[in-house]
Amino acid sequence: MNVASPGRNSLLACARRDYLLYLLCLPAVAYLIVFKYIPMYGITIAFKDYNLFRGIIKSDWAGIAYFRQIFSDKSFWFAVRNTLTLNLLVLAVSFPATIILSLFLNEIGSALYRRIAQSLLYLPHFISWVVVAGLLQNMLSVKYGSVNYVLTRAGFQPIPFMIEENWWIFTYVLAELWKSLGWGTIIYLAALSGVNESLYESAYMDGANKRQRIWYITIPSIKPTIVIMLILSISKMMTIGLDAPLLLQNAKVLDVAEVISTYVYKMGLERVQYSFATAVGLFQSLVNIILLVIANAITRAMGEEGIL
Amino acid sequence: MRNLGYSRSESIGSALNYILMTILVVACLYPFLNVIAYSLSSGRAILSGWVTFFPREIQLDAYRAVLSRKSIWDSMGVTVFVTISSTLLGLALTTFSAYSLSRRRLRGRYFLSLIFLFTMYFSGGIIPTFIVVKNLGLINKLGALILPNTMSIFNFIVMRTFFQQLPEELEEAAILDGCNDLCVLVRIMLPLSMPIMATIGLFYAVGHWNEYFNSMMYINDPAKFTLQLKLRQLLFSEELAQLSGNFDLMEGNNTSMPESLKAASIVISTIPIIVVYPWLQKYFVKGVMIGSIKG
Repeated sequence: MNVASPGRNSLLACARRDYLLYLLCLPAVAYLIVFKYIPMYGITIAFKDYNLFRGIIKSDWAGIAYFRQIFSDKSFWFAVRNTLTLNLLVLAVSFPATIILSLFLNEIGSALYRRIAQSLLYLPHFISWVVVAGLLQNMLSVKYGSVNYVLTRAGFQPIPFMIEENWWIFTYVLAELWKSLGWGTIIYLAALSGVNESLYESAYMDGANKRQRIWYITIPSIKPTIVIMLILSISKMMTIGLDAPLLLQNAKVLDVAEVISTYVYKMGLERVQYSFATAVGLFQSLVNIILLVIANAITRAMGEEGIL
Repeated sequence: MRNLGYSRSESIGSALNYILMTILVVACLYPFLNVIAYSLSSGRAILSGWVTFFPREIQLDAYRAVLSRKSIWDSMGVTVFVTISSTLLGLALTTFSAYSLSRRRLRGRYFLSLIFLFTMYFSGGIIPTFIVVKNLGLINKLGALILPNTMSIFNFIVMRTFFQQLPEELEEAAILDGCNDLCVLVRIMLPLSMPIMATIGLFYAVGHWNEYFNSMMYINDPAKFTLQLKLRQLLFSEELAQLSGNFDLMEGNNTSMPESLKAASIVISTIPIIVVYPWLQKYFVKGVMIGSIKG
């Protein structure tokens, strides 16, 4: 930019020239301060005995008493275990499934057919978890669900998808898969469309069959994307959305379905243990940041562009 | 894919690929088809089983029963109002700040960007946020549904990347013509960014339409519940209703049953998404790709 460029050091001149730009980002910054940064200050209640009437600042300090309480709380460790279990299972199923689906979609010759298939597979991403829970209930209920009708008519026992612990985990993973499978292919399909066409042609000339072309050309070309996506997912292992577990869980499966986010929600807003719940949330955020930094370091060490 | 010519076994493989993909798409759509079929079928047909892809003994009683409830319309009104206002607000905040921080000459833009990006990786969590909303006096007010989540940093990054890609000459020419930054944004940049505004607006709108958690946290008055929260109540209160013998949902209607009423509620609350989806999907792939080239 050399339009009306002021002296390099004259801050004031810059401010005068660009005041409109600063004004333009002011509302967003104000929003972030009020709804993101002030709550971050509010984290101090994890170290205080939060008193509703005295407010955050005037409440008494409690030191790390709440953290001691958390770490000796059995249900907290259950929530950690369940969070990790569900996240790992979802990762183990949907990560390879997404890559395989992308490869299959990429092999579809007809552009029209591929576009239609993609649009329909992306749709679940836009459906709310309340609706997903409703759809599952509708399909899988033991009494009226169509899946169990078909199973019983075919001579099988009805399956308690939502009320037996192991089946609940199965259902949860399936629902996560359904919702994210199609959407997840976008990034791989973009990487696949960037693969140099002439590589395939020369491989074909050399007599490579289709499977070899996929194995030796396609997969190596999208390997960087695969690595980054894997590391990103691993760095999110301690984070779990609140919506899916909260909406799918019920009293019968709480032993496997209570995760950190639902635990924080229940301790905080249902039992009004503000300080305790905030301390749990803070612990989770810190673990996340540590995982993210480690993941970033690993990506850089592997010669890929970092994610931070 | 590539027209490289296929051997015989490869043609079979390719046909198999089409078949597999079709099965997958049908499986993916089955939950929707099944719920639509339930919503249109009579209670007897559902009880007898075999309502899978298509409705049996078609009737509209379930829709009539659901739509005759005033509370559904209340929630619909709340949701429409909240969705429109928070989408417009979010779009304005996102566009203005993204444009501002996309200008390379802006002093302090790295620091300002950091203020935005940091909130993606660290947050106060639900309790501290709840306390802020409460102290602002927003409990039980629609403002609690509009303000706290009005802007997404992911969308901000997408927008900023988009503005950065526009040629700088456009801006220089306008400034030489005596246009200030606001006028450059409104007259030059916004007309060029309609597709990306549409994408991000739709992302926001879908997100707000699907929102139930804020409503559950901040709203106590059932007349101000959003549609999704209302739906959650309808879907998961069945056991209670049945136990107390109070078929509130059915309102004396004996041809439909809770299953079809629930199904109809699901369909009604999802229809707007399905209607905007064709427009949405024209743009979003590009939007997602811009966003994944990170800031």
